[in-house]
Amino acid sequence: MESLFKSELKVINMGLEGFAETLNERGTTVMHVRWQPPAMGDDDLLSLLDKLK
Amino acid sequence: MVLKSYISKNTFRDSVYLMRLSNTVRGFEGIIEAEVIIGTDHNKKFLQSGGLWSDKIEKEAGANDLIIAVRAENEEKAEKAIQGTLDELNKSVESENLLGEFVPRTFETAKKNLPGANLVLISIPGRYVEREANQILDAGLNMMIFSDNVPLEAEVALKKKALEKGLLVMGPDCGTAIINGVPLAFANEVNSGKIGIVAAAGTGLQEVSTLISNLGEGISQGIGTGGRDVKAAVGGITVIQGIEALLNDKETEIIVIVSKPPDPEVTEKVLAAAAKSNKPVVVNFLGGNLEQVRKAGCEPAVTLKEAAEKAVRLARKINAEPDDTGHIVDKALVRKTKENFKQDQKYLRALYSGGTLAYETLIMLHKSVGSIYTNLGFDGAEIISDVYKSEGHTIIDFGEDEFTQGRLHPMIDPTLRNNRIIEEAKDPETAVIMLDLVLGYNAHPDPAGSALEAIREAKEMAKKDNRHLCFVTTVCGTDEDFQNRSEQVKKLKEEDVLVFPSNADAAAFIEELLK
Repeated sequence: MESLFKSELKVINMGLEGFAETLNERGTTVMHVRWQPPAMGDDDLLSLLDKLK
Repeated sequence: MVLKSYISKNTFRDSVYLMRLSNTVRGFEGIIEAEVIIGTDHNKKFLQSGGLWSDKIEKEAGANDLIIAVRAENEEKAEKAIQGTLDELNKSVESENLLGEFVPRTFETAKKNLPGANLVLISIPGRYVEREANQILDAGLNMMIFSDNVPLEAEVALKKKALEKGLLVMGPDCGTAIINGVPLAFANEVNSGKIGIVAAAGTGLQEVSTLISNLGEGISQGIGTGGRDVKAAVGGITVIQGIEALLNDKETEIIVIVSKPPDPEVTEKVLAAAAKSNKPVVVNFLGGNLEQVRKAGCEPAVTLKEAAEKAVRLARKINAEPDDTGHIVDKALVRKTKENFKQDQKYLRALYSGGTLAYETLIMLHKSVGSIYTNLGFDGAEIISDVYKSEGHTIIDFGEDEFTQGRLHPMIDPTLRNNRIIEEAKDPETAVIMLDLVLGYNAHPDPAGSALEAIREAKEMAKKDNRHLCFVTTVCGTDEDFQNRSEQVKKLKEEDVLVFPSNADAAAFIEELLK
């Protein structure tokens, strides 16, 4: 965490796109992830996928 | 009247985008109600309760599909609204394609493509947070979790894991943070400086950081923790981590801790961490025990304003005065305002968008003005029986779940609060209407302008009844915020709305007025 305070902030934004837009507009390095619910939102399929990992 | 729905299969957009789109659709001609929403079970229940349910939705919509549901005056207007919504959705895809930028779909791909990434800002639905957050911690990155509805056990597990790895987990339900001078999510644009803040209260961080900035000092780091961090189950992991990080941070000379009163064992742990400090520490446990704070060698502050002012005095090496908790109230203004009230006008109606600010007002007023009805959990006040109808003195936080279910937060969309201003104006017992206008990134572009539309209507309504309503406001923000605090204040003052420099100043004025 101490290294976080000593280095330039580089953000990965996952979820609300507006947060990435405002960071980008003020010149902060940001990469937006167009996140979608994994396994098409199917909980059973998701737990199966997690077991396979 | 007709009810129509359209299901767009395998279509996902973020919730804020969809709520804005829903607002747009509600504005189409002949539309009575509309929602554009992802077909999760939770959202489906919401549609059922809102009278937008149909067999089509029940049979066809899944958790990865987008539902457009409208109630319209007739078939033609419903069709037009659905087509208009699809056009808007297509536009957003087209603009993405036109930009030609690479947009990753997973954290892993983003990390590969952004070497040196050191913080992840997460605002995905709460139930998916733990899964993603574990991957992020395993990859060695810090995070801020804006999402709410993350299970408590998940928060504890993630924070313990982060602590072991020397990483920071701000949140869940962390709306504001300032890291290395960068305002995240709803934070304000403030001066950089030597005061570090750890806050388990979102608008508390906004109020303290902006007041410090407006007084000419600045912020080194503003670490948000999420409100649950100070509960016994979490044990203040992030607050303590934050204090220790600020103790080791060369840029930080003064530390401010802001929180609602932590659970007793957490208070002890937090104060023990603060007691180790060789830097001055100002503590504002809203309504907490001041003597306990003093015993730990820290400077207690009763209000957020006092916390900011004490930090500024310490930063300027002026001795902080431990008992300076007073507010200078303009007695002549109090007298003049009182003279304008009719005999029946005796109640405060405080309509807040910032939870911590509402809580601060409750703490300041509950002992002096009699019973207060509220939707905030607080032992010294009455629980309001119907959040949509005020009784006696009322303090409402419009950021609570009952108002934000399927709707944008009032800091982004103040419609519900504006409607409530009109309702309060109809009540002959309303004397004072208090509003907080919170500026900052991602908030409404012109909160004062939006509130004034309702204020004008409310004043007109009262005038017809020979009543004069007193509007009290505070604008939380700086001139560097894109809404510009000075401009917002000017607009309000031009229409005879009282504007106070802090929430505590506004509450102190109201206290004097209601005595």
